[in-house]
Amino acid sequence: MFLNRSEGLALALPAALFTTMVFLVPVAILLSIAFQDGAGAFSLQGYVDFFAQPLNRSVFLRTLKLGILVAGTAAVIGYAAAFCIVNLPATSRGRIFGLVVLPLMISPVARTYAWIVILGRTGIVNDTIVGLGLSDTPIRLLFTETAVFIGLLQLFLPLMIISLVSAMENIPKDVIPAARVLGANWFQVFFKVILPLTREGLVIGGTLVFTGALTAYITPAILGGSKVLMLETLLYQKVNVSNDFVSASVIAMILIVMCFSANLVLKRIASVKG
Amino acid sequence: MTRHLSVIALAAALGATSAAAQDTLTISVYSFAQDAYKEALYDPFEEICNCELVIETGNSVERMAKIEANAADPVIDMAVISSHDALSLAQKGLLQPIDTSRISSFDRLYPAAQDPIGDNMAVGYTFYASSIVYREDLVSIESWSDLLGDDLAGNVSLPNITGTQGPLTLMMLDKAAGGDASDFTGTISAIGESADDIVTFYSRSSELAQLMNQEEVIAAPVGRFAWSRFKSSPLPFAWADPVEGQAGGMNVMLMTKENGNEDLAYMLMDYWLSAEVQTRIAEALIDSPANMDVVVSDEVAENLTYGAELINSLNILDPAEIIANRDGWVEQWNTEVIQ
Repeated sequence: MFLNRSEGLALALPAALFTTMVFLVPVAILLSIAFQDGAGAFSLQGYVDFFAQPLNRSVFLRTLKLGILVAGTAAVIGYAAAFCIVNLPATSRGRIFGLVVLPLMISPVARTYAWIVILGRTGIVNDTIVGLGLSDTPIRLLFTETAVFIGLLQLFLPLMIISLVSAMENIPKDVIPAARVLGANWFQVFFKVILPLTREGLVIGGTLVFTGALTAYITPAILGGSKVLMLETLLYQKVNVSNDFVSASVIAMILIVMCFSANLVLKRIASVKG
Repeated sequence: MTRHLSVIALAAALGATSAAAQDTLTISVYSFAQDAYKEALYDPFEEICNCELVIETGNSVERMAKIEANAADPVIDMAVISSHDALSLAQKGLLQPIDTSRISSFDRLYPAAQDPIGDNMAVGYTFYASSIVYREDLVSIESWSDLLGDDLAGNVSLPNITGTQGPLTLMMLDKAAGGDASDFTGTISAIGESADDIVTFYSRSSELAQLMNQEEVIAAPVGRFAWSRFKSSPLPFAWADPVEGQAGGMNVMLMTKENGNEDLAYMLMDYWLSAEVQTRIAEALIDSPANMDVVVSDEVAENLTYGAELINSLNILDPAEIIANRDGWVEQWNTEVIQ
């Protein structure tokens, strides 16, 4: 398109400069704090100190656990939903897909506060439990890992469904009937046909959901409070309560590494021949 | 002609900038009730001083970090903050002693407010009591120890250790257990043993008000400054009068070191601490007065930490005690309570 390469580069230069100045440089400066000691020399002591504290270790493991659980559950529910959506008539497919996308247009704060109404002591779930006589008193649902898990799953499930629908739309229409005709049961159809052909969608959806769950702040803060700390809420505390930028920088670096690692692991899984 | 106009405009702009630089006072305050402060304090003061007030808000940590980061060339001239945070700034050499002769109502302040952190590094402008707000239709509160009792298990919230109310709650729980407020180790362990019965550890009074109005929590310690949030609720909230008494704290004014704007800062301090302004702020239910000459109606007083008898009865935790032990408390809290 361009007569020479420099013309193309010149067009990209403003965007590259802007991104470098307002994103890459500040992030690099912030993250560099995590690799310095008090005198400014290179040091990994910040990481040693961080993982030396039992609270930090348990928060790290909880974040990892919830991230995997949310991504895994979203994949299971997402495959079922996506399979259903791609097999609908075109008109219905558009409507249902619109419903899947709809929550993404609503603020995460509003969506998360809705869960307080549902999971609270006077919420719909507890009213039902007490009404059915399953418990004499409302049970504690808010400020638990379960509440955070539900909130995160609801928040990020649409991203998994969208990714899987896109992937499934590219599966040739006749391969599943062919597999069935050749005697494969639905379990075999999924693992031998659908999964290999939708790996890319799973990688994209899995990465989006996992990183989203890891880096979400509002949902763990509202539904988990200070008793169910995750790395993101701990990071906020380090900055706004303790003024401890070293620990905050360490947490930010850990989150970045976790997100990139998740993408690499998912790609690795996707590249394994079935 | 155009050139002349440009020169005039430039000169006017420079003049305006110069005037603004001379007559600007930058203060750092808590972010709550800023509209009410504007009406009761900022706007009237700007009319008197013929200057511009620049208001910086945020939580204590953010504001202290800003003062510390700009120590060489202060951007904040005067700040209001908790007494222990003020002591922390003073210990870092970031404050200058206050010349109390420049505060006309200084002698009319409650004695506890006149030199709360020593060396005249701060002067108190408001007191607050802390007690337990509770649902009187569901439970009765006689003692601070009720917070960890069976009746409130699963229905109580405590303030986080990192906030202002956290150490005060530790002090009163320690007192209820027969302690002398010298060592909170046992109290933190006791909270840790009851952690499953505590709904959550709140950070802001607005967060607690929301929890209690949603009936997630039926009792919790909180500062009296937040009482209006509960009083206006349709739910029957009450303010406890425990046998151990109420805890208390004080917020103070301070002056950053070598800020170069001392005259205006003293003018604001003098105005803020005057009986006239303290009364106006009290009647707006913003802050309880530190000036003994303030007289308010019983209805207003009911919402405040008001009067010598109440103020002298408060259990106040020594700011130096908080500074010296806070890191240890937080570490034990993170290990035994949060985890």
